[in-house]
Amino acid sequence: MDLILNRYRNLTALVAAILVQLVLLAYQVKSNQEIRLIRVWAVTAVTPLARLLEGSRSGTVNFFKDYFVLLDVRDQNKRLQTDLNRVQLENQVLRSELDTAERGKALSVFQEQSQMKTVAARIIGNSPGSNGRVVLIDRGTGSGIQPGMAVITPDGIVGKIVSSYPTASNLLLITDPTFAAGVLSQKNRVHGTLKGTGNSNVIVDYVQNEQTVEVGEWFYTAGDDRVFPKGLLAGTVTAVRPGRTVKEIFLNPSGLQHGLEDVLVILEGDHKPIPDLPPANQSVHLQPLPPAEGDPANPLNTAHNASTNNGGAETDLDREVERTRRIGEDQKHVFGERGRGAPDFNRVPDPAATHPAPAAPPPAKPAAAVPPTASATPSAIPSATPSANQPRP
Amino acid sequence: MSDPDRPEKVSSTRLFRDDTKFALGRIAVFQYAAVGVFLFLIAGFWVLQIRDHEANSTLAERNRIKTVPLLAPRGKILDRDGRVIVDNQPAFVVQLTQENLKPEHLAPIAEGLHLDLDELKATVRRYAAGKRYSPIPIKRDLSPAELTFIDSHRDPGTFPELELVQEPRRLYPQNGLAAHVIGYVGEVSEAELNSSEFASYSQGDLVGKSGLEKQYNEILKGVDGQRRVVVDVAGREHQVLESAEATPGQNLQLTIDLDLQAVAELALEGKKGAVVALDPHDGSVLAMVSRPAFDPNLFAAHIKAADWKALTSNPENPLINRAIQAQFAPGSTFKPLVAIAGLETGAVDDNFSVHCGGGASFYGRYFKCWEKRGHGGVNMHAGIVHSCDVYFYTIGNKIGIDGIAEYAEQAGIGKKTGIDLPGEAEGLMPSSKWKLRTQREKWYAGETISVAIGQGAVTVTPIQLASAIGGMANGGVWFKPHLVKMAAAPDAARKENWNLDNIAKVVFGMYGVVNEGGTGGSAAIPGITVSGKTGSAQRVSNDFKKSGKADADDKDNGWFVAFAPRENPEIVLAVLLEGGEHGALAAPTARDVIKAYFDKKTRLSKLTQPTLALIRHPGQ
Repeated sequence: MDLILNRYRNLTALVAAILVQLVLLAYQVKSNQEIRLIRVWAVTAVTPLARLLEGSRSGTVNFFKDYFVLLDVRDQNKRLQTDLNRVQLENQVLRSELDTAERGKALSVFQEQSQMKTVAARIIGNSPGSNGRVVLIDRGTGSGIQPGMAVITPDGIVGKIVSSYPTASNLLLITDPTFAAGVLSQKNRVHGTLKGTGNSNVIVDYVQNEQTVEVGEWFYTAGDDRVFPKGLLAGTVTAVRPGRTVKEIFLNPSGLQHGLEDVLVILEGDHKPIPDLPPANQSVHLQPLPPAEGDPANPLNTAHNASTNNGGAETDLDREVERTRRIGEDQKHVFGERGRGAPDFNRVPDPAATHPAPAAPPPAKPAAAVPPTASATPSAIPSATPSANQPRP
Repeated sequence: MSDPDRPEKVSSTRLFRDDTKFALGRIAVFQYAAVGVFLFLIAGFWVLQIRDHEANSTLAERNRIKTVPLLAPRGKILDRDGRVIVDNQPAFVVQLTQENLKPEHLAPIAEGLHLDLDELKATVRRYAAGKRYSPIPIKRDLSPAELTFIDSHRDPGTFPELELVQEPRRLYPQNGLAAHVIGYVGEVSEAELNSSEFASYSQGDLVGKSGLEKQYNEILKGVDGQRRVVVDVAGREHQVLESAEATPGQNLQLTIDLDLQAVAELALEGKKGAVVALDPHDGSVLAMVSRPAFDPNLFAAHIKAADWKALTSNPENPLINRAIQAQFAPGSTFKPLVAIAGLETGAVDDNFSVHCGGGASFYGRYFKCWEKRGHGGVNMHAGIVHSCDVYFYTIGNKIGIDGIAEYAEQAGIGKKTGIDLPGEAEGLMPSSKWKLRTQREKWYAGETISVAIGQGAVTVTPIQLASAIGGMANGGVWFKPHLVKMAAAPDAARKENWNLDNIAKVVFGMYGVVNEGGTGGSAAIPGITVSGKTGSAQRVSNDFKKSGKADADDKDNGWFVAFAPRENPEIVLAVLLEGGEHGALAAPTARDVIKAYFDKKTRLSKLTQPTLALIRHPGQ
């Protein structure tokens, strides 16, 4: 049997295949399927190979395709980046032009609103040969500018003119270490001297540790430096700490916060009162002038109102006199007067009681000059010899 | 290719020769010019580097290296318990550097610093005549506004001559408290600079001008230091080359007790007069007040001309320390010394009596007693208690002027006490010798009658009176009054051999003045044996008063001298109320000060020893 099958192997295989075909046909007829089995089998048999081949093909194709596409994307990215840079540059230029226009407008508005006589100038460069913070502006003596004049923007003070030429002037910036200006705090009217530090911050010097200055508080020009008119913005407090002798106060100069391009040089100043409230809007464009208020007769005197000749400081004797005075008041005793006898100095006065201020010394009466010599006698005795009518003992 | 015979070649050769000559000529000119330039430069360098080398080096050095003075603070002035009476506070002085000074800057600087331009120019001229490079201090105790002005204008482009130097400023008590004791400081004057005492001082230095500031100037002043720094053209410091710190002056601890001083100050508020409180055991001044006063803080900086004029032209003379400089008749406060003289000389004893009918006649003149109705029969005790003038007319007449003068002078009347304050007045104790010496006249017995009741020529200062009565109550032992607390024992006492029984009799009379219905009853303090004596002294004669020329300022002076306790007194006071009319009105001031003294003593007695030591010696 085996021999016959081996001998007629091809025929056997054919007959077997026909038989399987017939069986499968019968199965297909019986299962009522529309797809022919041969196709199913062929597809099923071919699909893995096809998948493999397609995978290899598509992988290869995709690889090369992606490669070339990436190359294109990079180029495209470069182009886009270039475009973006160009657009950004254009945007900056436009923004700068807009800022310049706004600053110009702000300067114009500020000039219109201000009572001060000013001249607008533009920063045209750093001053040659100067190691300080000095810049050059495009206006000079021809425009009426002289050394010592104040320079501002609508945001605040910027510096002062240190030298002027026919068509240009040197402007010493507020941040230069040699710069100084008198300032007053907006809330507590604390007086100090604004000084440059060489960096972007400035300090306020000569403020006693006992005086109150808060972070965020505004400082305005005091007008006592004879450079800046009173009432111009100087800056906001960024840090306060007690120092060894005086308070250390750091300020962010408001005049420089929006850059420095166009400035106003004050030809004739106009003192303004310090507003009670800080500026509501610190923007360049909307910065209002301080509201009008009853300005003191002499604005230069507001910084220093010591009630005594020693600035109000006390010694232990002052405190002892006040303590003794309170003892007298507490016991309704007038020192040196007859009354009800001497007070009890060991009775501690009521601390809650209010007491009037110490009496001032009697006013001096003007009269003929008397040299304060040590041997001078307070009053002359017209008659050294008394009369017979003797005084009481 | 070109023809050599063509004219161009000839022309070319000529041109070549001309160019050479021309070039040589130009080179020669250039060489001469170069030599000229170099000669010019060499000449310039010679002038700069050789001829004017020293001057230029000095200038360059001065521009590069700056000497910054470090001014020494003066010593503090403390009370006996270490409490601060005079302190220092930081301040600035503005100076002009002469080498940078431009005359045209003076006007704006004067305007900015509120200075008188003429005064400023005069100051600059004065300094220019002295040391050429010494800085010129033009204003002290700068206000914040002036500080700002200087800071904002002392840049190299504006007023480079302005220089700020930190200088400790004297901080005195307010409202003239203890002003006459403390005194004040001021710039050393030209006259002082010319004296050997101030040889080590320079123009612009501060020195004590009056009071303790003057008396103890050498102790209070410190030694200035200095820093040498390298600066740039803008004046910014870059390097410290050397630094010698200032040495502060020594502190001065006084015998003054602020508890008592405060009471005395308040008691004299609005009045004219003086209070002196002493410890009779050692002469310590416990309190000293003179009113009206001045504010020494006006002098702490440079006093303004207007302020100085107001002080010197004030008819109340606020600059005078009435405690040591007011010389007035002591009135009845002199009577205890007359009583001592009577007892010691044996002219009278304490039982000696007179009848007071409201006055008595002596040497043909009728002398009234202050009590018009008369005191009736009066012995020494009653005479002191009721201050009977007739009694003292009588015993004064018996003692005689020289007997009175002898014991009054032993008590210190008519002599400076020697207190450590400048300008003490002497007062006057008249005697027959004195009159002969000064007026070339003999003393008339009738003149003694007035002196016996503290009138006439006799004058005392409050410090003298306090010292005299304190020494008497101390058993005839006097110590020199002093204001500075001494580490060692006080100066040797001056002792007179007065009979202690006699002293006790007079003291008993003074006790009666306060506690037995006498004129000083308002000085009585329950539990404290205050003894005292009132005095009302005429400043003008009754004839002058009757003439209608006398004014309010001619009212009688009120005196009160007191001590406590009666035995072994710890505190003695003299109170003067100028124009106070009656001594009884001065008594409450003494009462308040004495009460403050004993209340403090009670307070301290309740403290533990360590606490007490801490109070007495603070800082140890």
